[in-house]
Amino acid sequence: MRLLRSLFFGDRFRMLRASFWALLFSLAAGAVILFLMGKDPVSAYANLLQGSGLLPKVKYAGRQNQLTDFLSFLDAMTPMVFASLSVAVALRSGFFNIGVPGQMLAAGFCAHIVTAALGNVLPSPLAKLLVLVIGIAAGAAMGAFMGWLKDRFNVNEVVTSIMLNSIAMYLITFYINTFYVDPVSRQSRAISDAARLTLSGVRTHGMKADFALAFPLAILVAFLLRTFLDRTTYGFEIRALGLSRGAARYAGISLSRTTLLTMALSGALGGLAGVAYFCGYFASIQPGTVPGMGFDAIAVALLGGNHALGCILASFLITVISKGSVYMSSRLSVEPEIASLITSVILIFSACSASFVGRRGGHD
Amino acid sequence: MNEQEFIVEMRGITKRFPGITANDGVSIQIRKGEIYAILGENGAGKSTLMSMLFGMIEPDEGEIFIRGKRERIDSPRRATQLSIGMVHQHFRLVSNYTVAENIILGMEPEKKCGPFPMVDIAGANAKVAALSERYGLQVDPTDVIEDLNVATRQRVEILKMLYREAEILIFDEPTAVLTPQEIAAFLDIVRGLRDQGKTVILITHKLEEIKQVADRCAILNRGKLISVMDVASSTTSDMARMMVGHEVSFSTPKAPPHFGSPVLRLENLTVKNAAGFNSVNSVSFEVRAGEVLGIAGVSGNGQNELADAIAGLQRCHGGKIILNGRDISNLSIRERVEAGVAYIPEDRHNVGLVLDFTLRDNLMLKQYYRARFAHRHVMDEIAFDEYGKELIGRYDIRSNQGDATITRSMSGGNQQKAVIARELDLKTPLVVFMQPTRGLDAGAVSNIHRQIIAERDRGAAVLLISLDLDEILDCSDTIAIIFQGHINKIAPAASLTVEEIGLYMMGVKGGEAA
Repeated sequence: MRLLRSLFFGDRFRMLRASFWALLFSLAAGAVILFLMGKDPVSAYANLLQGSGLLPKVKYAGRQNQLTDFLSFLDAMTPMVFASLSVAVALRSGFFNIGVPGQMLAAGFCAHIVTAALGNVLPSPLAKLLVLVIGIAAGAAMGAFMGWLKDRFNVNEVVTSIMLNSIAMYLITFYINTFYVDPVSRQSRAISDAARLTLSGVRTHGMKADFALAFPLAILVAFLLRTFLDRTTYGFEIRALGLSRGAARYAGISLSRTTLLTMALSGALGGLAGVAYFCGYFASIQPGTVPGMGFDAIAVALLGGNHALGCILASFLITVISKGSVYMSSRLSVEPEIASLITSVILIFSACSASFVGRRGGHD
Repeated sequence: MNEQEFIVEMRGITKRFPGITANDGVSIQIRKGEIYAILGENGAGKSTLMSMLFGMIEPDEGEIFIRGKRERIDSPRRATQLSIGMVHQHFRLVSNYTVAENIILGMEPEKKCGPFPMVDIAGANAKVAALSERYGLQVDPTDVIEDLNVATRQRVEILKMLYREAEILIFDEPTAVLTPQEIAAFLDIVRGLRDQGKTVILITHKLEEIKQVADRCAILNRGKLISVMDVASSTTSDMARMMVGHEVSFSTPKAPPHFGSPVLRLENLTVKNAAGFNSVNSVSFEVRAGEVLGIAGVSGNGQNELADAIAGLQRCHGGKIILNGRDISNLSIRERVEAGVAYIPEDRHNVGLVLDFTLRDNLMLKQYYRARFAHRHVMDEIAFDEYGKELIGRYDIRSNQGDATITRSMSGGNQQKAVIARELDLKTPLVVFMQPTRGLDAGAVSNIHRQIIAERDRGAAVLLISLDLDEILDCSDTIAIIFQGHINKIAPAASLTVEEIGLYMMGVKGGEAA
């Protein structure tokens, strides 16, 4: 009973409630749009679940079933968990890391180049480990650079991260198109199966399934991050800085060190998202674009209340919408963009409800 | 007939804010064409009174008559219609607009360019030039505000009022930001405005200026009108005495002090502000163990900078801060905490507390990293909880959900209790209190004063910086008076009279007289 009351009225679940309402409003808004388009919202939403392997489809192609759909869904969800954690940890210390797309690209690219240069010297587990390490290092370096600019020159991190996104994208596009292009797909050459973080097209039990090896890691990292933020002195300092710069300084917390640490951590998570995306879910990098997932991660982090475990939940929901939209559009012949639309509406609602929750809490 | 004499009459004005009565039945009458000064210490209610005349806040009780007619002034817009203008302490100008653009902002002259209304900038420039000519306020209408110095910006603010045809001009601490030469020029401008038939109201705590320009002077203390004096027939000493001289309304019982060896020693400490000006100017003094040194002074004379420099929040640009024989001037904030400096800052909302933290986490803010509470950077939740509960009990901090309460939701008095509990429990040899009772009710005030005395009796050196003279008198063993960043006088509390302290605070007496 007490749990129930605090779930509805208490302070502890304030963020969770906000996210719940944001989601509900967004789905309702999506339903209205679908209805106006002359489609049945209920079956559209059911299609999303079916496309994500959460409900059985009417029929499956050979070697496909609900489980292969779900495994493929987890493969898509993995980079999203990392990316949203990246945004969330930065927001906890008051920074807006909009540079996740650039960090993802840089990390994925570095991992591609290094593993390609090494060829087949490393055994598969070591190669995969190397990909992860490179992802963390490349992302952390970019994040720390943003943090350094912020701390040293007081440049707004939003501006630097947008610029760094473009710089990373154009440099990498140039390199891929000049030295590293696959002439058939016009993408970067594919990463070797030995180094790829997703076991793709594994034939087992009559299925042909994709196993995202990084998925358990993503869940583990989320739990570790929660413990880090809630239970360590570093986390205490990050949270204090995010809530009150003046008080954090007064308490003797080093603002420079905390800024650098947070942004490096955020970048490292962005880098993990990058390798899970470009060296896992995909095997190659498409030149000329930044991964939109890096931007969607902002919505996911807000929906998850900037909480590590909330991010898992929110990544799950958003991936249902994005992953399931392919099936929905083929079944109902609605444009798959409707899924992006719903995601965007969630962003707006969760941003609004976050400020609503923030405002209600305060009275002096 | 009688009412017609007064252009402004405020009758029985009372304004209450939570925990404090800012104005208590104040009645003033201002004649057309006079310079009327409103004098009082910080928190005496001067600005509140004038904010009500300018419509920024409305009185709880009382009536305002303008030109003999009762008016309800519910907004600055209404005040402007009644030809009341106000120059705030912090100027309200758009810094990348020109002088003329700022002056006309909100009532731009229009001209038609075909069907489109356009701002008549040429006309505005000409009108501003004419106004500045007429009142002797030199400005170039086409200058951009950010290129101008403070005195010129102030003239722009005055022109803004005149452009709106204001007859009653209110100035809130107009000379606080000016140099002595600029002050002289400003006072000339004020005389010029009076000679042109304007009514001028000056909110100030600078006696010298009142003596120079004002015709009459109302003295406020703790929200009450003490007296209205005719300036020509009064001396600055009279006014200073009226301003601070009143019975001390409470006093804290204290035993005679036992001074030990010096704990804090400042040697020619100098702190510059952002503009390069010496906010703290070569200050030297000592605080001994078992001594409360109170620093009295009017707001803005370097008190904040002094406290922040000792705690390490501001860099010191010259001199030394010595704690128990060790030079701490170049230590980081945390190193100073560890060396033994506790600091109760003035701004508990933005500095002293992380308002959105729980009460427990705020109580831990200075100790979370210590070995007792964290092992290899992992915080010991049990130790946190125990310590939080212990402090809450010991310092009687009230909140609705105990140590898990979000600090923002607590009352101001309890928030301050939390800050004080945290700092005093560091048990440091030096405790710096900056305005510890600001905005608190009488009960909380006397409680904090008792804690200050208890710190002294424990053997700590206590530095108490306050704008509230009663607080200084109530707690201090030794009193230092700061004026323009300089310690003007330092003496045992018993050897100083309230009147004397007032004179030193105003710079009437002492080395750096204005």
